[in-house]
Amino acid sequence: MATQAAFMPGSKVATETFWGTVWSWLTTVDHKRIGILYGTSAFIFFLVGGIEALIMRVQLARPDNTLVSAERFNELFTMHGTTMIFLAVMPLSAAFFNYMIPLMIGARDVAFPRLNALSYWIFLSGALFLNSSWLFGLAPDGGWFGYANLTTSQFSPRHTIDFWMLGLQILGVSSMLAGFNFLVTIINMRAPGMTLMRMPVFVWMSFVTQFLLVLAFPAITVALILLMFDRFFGTLFYAPAAGADPLLWQHLFWIFGHPEVYILILPAMGIVSEVLPTFARKPLFGAPVVIYSGITIGFFGFGVWSHHMFSVGMGPVADSAFSIATMLIAVPTGVKILNWIGTLWGGSIRFRTPLYFALGFIAMFTMGGLSGVMHASPPVDLQQTDSYFVVAHFHYVLFGGSIFGLFGGIYYWWPKINGKLLDERLGLWHFWLMMIGFNVTFFPQHYLGLIGMPRRIYTYAPDLGWNFWNMISTIGAFLIAVSLLFFIANVWRTMRSGKIAGNDPWDARTLEWAIPSPPPVYNFARVPHVHDRDDFWLEKHGDGHGGAPRPKPTPVTAAEIASIHMPSPSFWPLLLALAMAVMISGLMISMYQVIVGGLLTLYLMYKFAMELHRPAEGHGH
Amino acid sequence: MADQHAVAATHEGGGHATVRTYVNVAIVLAIITAVEVATLYVPGIPNFLLVSSLLVMSAIKFFLVVGFFMHLRYDHPILRALFVGPLIIAIAIIIAVMALFSAFLLLPRPH
Amino acid sequence: MADHAAAVHAVHDPNIGNTGLDNRKMGMWAFLGSDCMFFGSLIGTYLAYKGKSLSGPGPHDVFDIPLTSYSAALLLASSLTMVLALANLQQNRVKSAARWLLVTALLGLHFVLNQVYEFTTFVLHHDLKLSTNLFGSSFFVLTGFHGAHVTGGVIWLLILVGLAWRRQLDARDYTKVEIAGLYWHFVDIVWIAIFTVIYLIP
Repeated sequence: MATQAAFMPGSKVATETFWGTVWSWLTTVDHKRIGILYGTSAFIFFLVGGIEALIMRVQLARPDNTLVSAERFNELFTMHGTTMIFLAVMPLSAAFFNYMIPLMIGARDVAFPRLNALSYWIFLSGALFLNSSWLFGLAPDGGWFGYANLTTSQFSPRHTIDFWMLGLQILGVSSMLAGFNFLVTIINMRAPGMTLMRMPVFVWMSFVTQFLLVLAFPAITVALILLMFDRFFGTLFYAPAAGADPLLWQHLFWIFGHPEVYILILPAMGIVSEVLPTFARKPLFGAPVVIYSGITIGFFGFGVWSHHMFSVGMGPVADSAFSIATMLIAVPTGVKILNWIGTLWGGSIRFRTPLYFALGFIAMFTMGGLSGVMHASPPVDLQQTDSYFVVAHFHYVLFGGSIFGLFGGIYYWWPKINGKLLDERLGLWHFWLMMIGFNVTFFPQHYLGLIGMPRRIYTYAPDLGWNFWNMISTIGAFLIAVSLLFFIANVWRTMRSGKIAGNDPWDARTLEWAIPSPPPVYNFARVPHVHDRDDFWLEKHGDGHGGAPRPKPTPVTAAEIASIHMPSPSFWPLLLALAMAVMISGLMISMYQVIVGGLLTLYLMYKFAMELHRPAEGHGH
Repeated sequence: MADQHAVAATHEGGGHATVRTYVNVAIVLAIITAVEVATLYVPGIPNFLLVSSLLVMSAIKFFLVVGFFMHLRYDHPILRALFVGPLIIAIAIIIAVMALFSAFLLLPRPH
Repeated sequence: MADHAAAVHAVHDPNIGNTGLDNRKMGMWAFLGSDCMFFGSLIGTYLAYKGKSLSGPGPHDVFDIPLTSYSAALLLASSLTMVLALANLQQNRVKSAARWLLVTALLGLHFVLNQVYEFTTFVLHHDLKLSTNLFGSSFFVLTGFHGAHVTGGVIWLLILVGLAWRRQLDARDYTKVEIAGLYWHFVDIVWIAIFTVIYLIP
């Protein structure tokens, strides 16, 4: 087919010149390149969100501080939360979905490569749109969960909330498109022999995450649409004066928001489930149970949303029901922690940076989980809600959990992605500084919360007894910042003069380590046949019960490689994402722009769809 | 070659329903819709009976269309799971939201 | 054995995965599952606000059940014509397939026009607007988004008709028309739910 350029080994598509390179990245549909784009963008936004956090910590270091105004502080915590969740942790996970899922299931690309590119460009346009609000002095200031009716035009007349609402809407489209793509990829593109139970646990956790993405985002899409209609077209969904229930937003938001919590943590759990067996040189303890626990967490994730709302007074029946469901969901989580520890038990452990981060994940996530179980009890929650105790809790699960897990993944898979090993010594500096800095920052916040410091205050009086621990917390935040400098230095050094990794630097277990680092465009010269979850390990070492290593397959011939067809690059995804951004941002500017952008979007969707319809006849194979 | 394959692909998706089945299903759908509307004009029908019979009838219509016109009845279990799973979650959430807003359809509502 | 056959299959058509299913069809079902949540949230909102408006007019001051029943019948009929189009395409009777597709699109268009008429009547004769009361807000947004789905489906179907007229559509494109059909039937079942839950239930 003409749309599928035959891949010729050693051939260079016009990437020799600088602009050729830029063009090839703008039009790429290769899941590996898109993964790198996701990862790089996410890391940049992670730094942006981190700087916002540092400014807040400096402001709170001393009582009665005047570094930022109350209004600016509102903007900072809103953008910090929104950025870290939607622009850092989610796309960082998406980077691993993109790069790793096809490699781990033995596929040559995702099910819909162009849709994958479209997801990335929509994500980037949404992220830039959201952050462009800073340039206009209109940064969102309604908190990351933007409770209506604070966000209606009556109380937030400026465009601040518009940036947040429309930006989230754009990002939601991106996440859902990616969700459909990976659902189909995981179900339909697995290599022959890879049954669902032979799938690596990271792929399983990603699989559950995709279900959560496509089922949770519609709820916030609707909540945001209703808000949009309230703000632009005068509907009354969030207007209590007209009889509206102020809880409507909260319910719709948390129907999305709680599954979102698992969207943030499950990929990191998957990464840890890959890192531990590799460095303990043992199969994951009770892998099927880890998988079932992940499914259970995902399923129950839809039935616990109101535990974010105990303080609004839903009545004893609703409180009890959601409280019990929340306590139940701790069970599969505890099972997983047990299985991770069981994996280490009796293993021949090699301490490398990825393992340090995975261990950090287990310890910190367990602590965050324990304070989480406390909130499951409504009377306890009433004491803790909206205090720094809650801030400490969700940073233990999101930073101590997700971010530690994701950094583990970065150290683990960096050699596969870039062909070079990150430096161990700098890696350990990064780990220990981050570990110490993280605990110095957030552990005191438990205490601050319990002695009464509310979250989201921009300053406090000097005689409340909060001064000392706030200063400690700020010092910790700077330790985290320093640890990230070590990471950046590590990346810089590795790029210049890193140790060549080879195919399999960790003596790992899953399919992606069987191919060169970085992998060729077509991933697998020959699609593998899978016989076990740890197929590659068994191929190398046998089953440990006297079974011999499997015979090496015959070498791949040049003819086999020449017959591989990969999808051609396409510039429609980029154009389509731009047109959508024009349409959606038009809501703030002029209806004409919405109409023009909408027609453009429709036209480009048509071109996008037709690109692969009936490629020149007679060129088939 | 490509044509042979295309023909094979069409058979795989076609399922077992015939045009006759489709027409029969459509007739049933039309009848149920007529009965639904007629139920509304039954004098003195108790509210809970009206509501529950309407819900049952629309559920039957729903599953007729999904089962026959979208031939999920004949299709792969994976596709069934992809649709029915989310559908169950969506219905459960609607019911939970209604409970939370004390908006039960079956109860007569105060004016 | 089935695995092996599927693998051989995959070499020829990049859209067929190792389960033997078409990627695009599976993607469409996943999307429809997700769209259940979308309409579920909208319907949930409507029901949560049912009877909570502080001022009139209410649903039964404005609803025109005969007209809406007619609209519901139009969509049901369009579902039938859609499967007839598919059945014809399967046997490579492209012309009659295109005709049925066109009829489907026209029935959909008729539905949309009915809705436009309905909305206009509500605004002009009953003074019910988006901003009148909670009923106006939740009714127009819910049914409006359904109408937008129908409109998108009509455009999709018309594009397919256009392709058939230009001889760019035949039995090889069965799956493409099939997924358009899945979307179209889904819009129909959403209306089945809306018709009962919003219009008929008092």
